[in-house]
Amino acid sequence: MTAFGGGTASWTYRELADKRGWIDQNDFITGLTFSQVMPGANPVNLALYLGMELRGGIGGFIAVFGLVAPAFCLVILLGLFYNWLSTFPITSVLLSGVAAVGVGATLSVGAKLAQVMLKRGEIASRVAQAIIALATFAAIGLMQWPTIPVVAVAAPLSVLTALVIRRIHGHG
Amino acid sequence: MDSRLLALVMVFAPLSLVSFGGGQAIVADIQYQTVEVHSWLSNQEFANLFAVARAAPGPSTMIVALLGWHVAGFWGALIATIAIFLPSSLVMYFSASWWHRNANSPWRVAIERGLTPVAVGLVFAGAVAVMRAMHMHPVGLAVAVVCAALIYYTKISAYLMFGCVMTLYAALFYFQLI
Repeated sequence: MTAFGGGTASWTYRELADKRGWIDQNDFITGLTFSQVMPGANPVNLALYLGMELRGGIGGFIAVFGLVAPAFCLVILLGLFYNWLSTFPITSVLLSGVAAVGVGATLSVGAKLAQVMLKRGEIASRVAQAIIALATFAAIGLMQWPTIPVVAVAAPLSVLTALVIRRIHGHG
Repeated sequence: MDSRLLALVMVFAPLSLVSFGGGQAIVADIQYQTVEVHSWLSNQEFANLFAVARAAPGPSTMIVALLGWHVAGFWGALIATIAIFLPSSLVMYFSASWWHRNANSPWRVAIERGLTPVAVGLVFAGAVAVMRAMHMHPVGLAVAVVCAALIYYTKISAYLMFGCVMTLYAALFYFQLI
């Protein structure tokens, strides 16, 4: 349960679907997309979703606890280890290397989400989504506006836009 | 409650609710709140804790446990972790139940389509925030871009990548290039 290295949903899939047959592929993909777009850490949301799918609310709680508790202990241990190591000058150089990999991982998550976004729906919907993504990025990444008000405006606006575009295209 | 613990909750619980796209989405604001607003730590310390959290197995959001520990010890770590996971998990719990009951609602697709671009923008903003906090030099930028491409296009093991990059950095340090 501890081997969730930031973003290894494929590993979870292998355990739950391939090896144990607890869940089918469609359920898993729906859960994964939903976990990514909802607020919260993706692996935690996914654990909650799959836990609920298997055993209801209790299952969700146990899955989240099973994920967060070991991760919490490990990160604290590493943190203490870091305090001890931080007296050596090379530590911060090595850590900036790790942080660079971390930034790379973050960029690839963004690129994957962007790819999903740009490959589905009508043209109007894709253009609208690209504009909203760029605006959100510019506001928080470049202008350094605080996240909460920006999301409070962008999220409802974006959902409404998606709804309106679907109406226009006659999907109900 | 200890005022520092309360401050941790006040910083992390609201961010939990807007972390569309995962922990990366709110890194920008976590950095701003902890470094600029509360001055709990320096930019360099923040970048180091970010790295420690990335190196540990588990969600990268776990950086809040390290920040909590830095501010108020064990209880700080515990409270910060609960503050970042509980609100979003409750939202996820209720929306997942709703999701099941309304399989054919037009809102479902609209929510999925509407929240994705917000998540994309947030994730990229988070990457920029970390780069800014660590005053990333060209080597770091190149490493980040190469790693992003490797993760995107291949199934390379994360630990192999960490190993290579750390060797590279150790060599650069040894020859005093950074």
